[in-house]
Amino acid sequence: MKSQPVQYVEIDETLCSGCVLCMKACPTQAIRIRNHLASIEGVCIACGECINICPRGAIRAVTTGDEYLNGAGYSIISASTALYPQFGDKVMPNDVLLGLRRMGFRHVHDQAYTNEIFNVAMELYVRERLVEMKLPFPVISPICPVVVRLIAYRFPSLLEHIPPLATPREIVAREAKKRFSAKYGDRPDDVKVLHITPCQGKMICIKEPVLQSSSYLDGAIGINSIYSSLKQHILEVEEDIVLHHSGGVGLGWAMCGGEVAGLDMDCLAVSGIQETIRYLEKIEMGLLHDIDYIEFRICTSGCLGGPFTVADKYQAKHNLERYVRMFGVEKRVKYEYVKKLYEDGWFFTDRQIVSLAEKPSCISASEISKGIERQNRVEEILQSLPGKECGACGSPDCRTFAEDVIDGKASLGSCVYWKK
Amino acid sequence: MPDLQRSFKVKFNDFMKAGDVSVQIQSILKAIGFEPALIRRVSVCAYESEMNVVMHGGDGDVLLTVGPKSITVDVRDDGPGIDNTELAFQEGYSTATHEHREMGFGAGMGLPNIKKSADAVEVNSKKGKGAHLKMTFKVE
Repeated sequence: MKSQPVQYVEIDETLCSGCVLCMKACPTQAIRIRNHLASIEGVCIACGECINICPRGAIRAVTTGDEYLNGAGYSIISASTALYPQFGDKVMPNDVLLGLRRMGFRHVHDQAYTNEIFNVAMELYVRERLVEMKLPFPVISPICPVVVRLIAYRFPSLLEHIPPLATPREIVAREAKKRFSAKYGDRPDDVKVLHITPCQGKMICIKEPVLQSSSYLDGAIGINSIYSSLKQHILEVEEDIVLHHSGGVGLGWAMCGGEVAGLDMDCLAVSGIQETIRYLEKIEMGLLHDIDYIEFRICTSGCLGGPFTVADKYQAKHNLERYVRMFGVEKRVKYEYVKKLYEDGWFFTDRQIVSLAEKPSCISASEISKGIERQNRVEEILQSLPGKECGACGSPDCRTFAEDVIDGKASLGSCVYWKK
Repeated sequence: MPDLQRSFKVKFNDFMKAGDVSVQIQSILKAIGFEPALIRRVSVCAYESEMNVVMHGGDGDVLLTVGPKSITVDVRDDGPGIDNTELAFQEGYSTATHEHREMGFGAGMGLPNIKKSADAVEVNSKKGKGAHLKMTFKVE
């Protein structure tokens, strides 16, 4: 693990009141309250729960920054399809893509089309895996970066359920770099690709990718940062250029169930952090092995529920469903073409799994003994605690407090109920 | 140094809570730091045996014992017991009711899965006198 952990969220100390809400919402127990201020001390998976729950708006996600908004330095845009339905039901996907181009970006790519290509590739992959039966089922979608990080941190045995296929946003960035360096004579490293994202999670794949050695994306910026400027550009003169090529299937990806809607197999779509954890636990217990593919999204309702979205998620879903009806549920990609790319290895990443497990899996018996001893002490302390789960001590729950005491990060005296 | 021991209660027919004990066992083993593949084998077995108690047992107890060399999961219930142990370990053999099957359980894979995942399985059961299942996992 790196010595200096990457910060995915920032806490504004002037706004933080030191309440316990973010600490209790954190699914990895990474937050503590110290001197009446929240601080991040554990592994952050960038899920955004703390941002969503903070009543004072004191927690902010860290993205690449606003300095690239005029297109300078970043010439290529890959936008999450969650961007398309943010502007009401009169604005079509093509209008959004044209608006982005008018903002000054050299090239704007329709990720919805790549989504459809990815759907076909995933069908090919899962069928292959069904024949070979070497790896376990269900296959878990690699799309939501927070889910992938959650698995690496809390469910490392499930990493082999995630296929080594590059996500559409990575494919867009990789191909754009190839194509534009050839076209304009730039070096591939000089072609910068910026992703427009509904969530801070995409920063994970850029800064600390879990499943591959590095990302082709150079930065990510929230939909909310680009929103008002983009809206003005969308409202300007009409142009007659077609940038949007996908059918409805590729567009629907931003909502829960959208990805699996494009797969002709037994699928489930699960969204929301609590449900995601529950279903990952089930898979770890050997359940759901008769399902082919599971789409997990950490945000309820899928990417439309991301913290950086502007439009109401249910309204945006309504707009998106209209697009799907309008553009039809037929994929617009040619199967034979994708099959050829698949066989050429076009979709595969240089799979390198980075383990984030709560503890490195210790094989040596002495470390196991230490672990057992530690758990016995945790249990002992836990017995002497009141079990109020109040968080007043600065740790999220009584068990974590007991662990903090053993690790020397807290003293028993900070429990307001504890009596000697 | 003493082993770690935890006991849990499982309630007959409580499908709402079914699986909770296995989740707790999962998290204890993760906190200690066992390797993921071992944790997975234990949780598969814990889950299958917990479900057996919920479906067929009476109320039951699960006892987890963790030592540096081995992990054991003992599951006892005061249910009707296992009539024919040999049959119970056969894939597809099931005594589940129609209702169980409608909920998606009772495929007759419980004990066969346990046999595959655990390093050793012992069954002690007499008809009418409950069942005791002891699963042992070696720590490499």
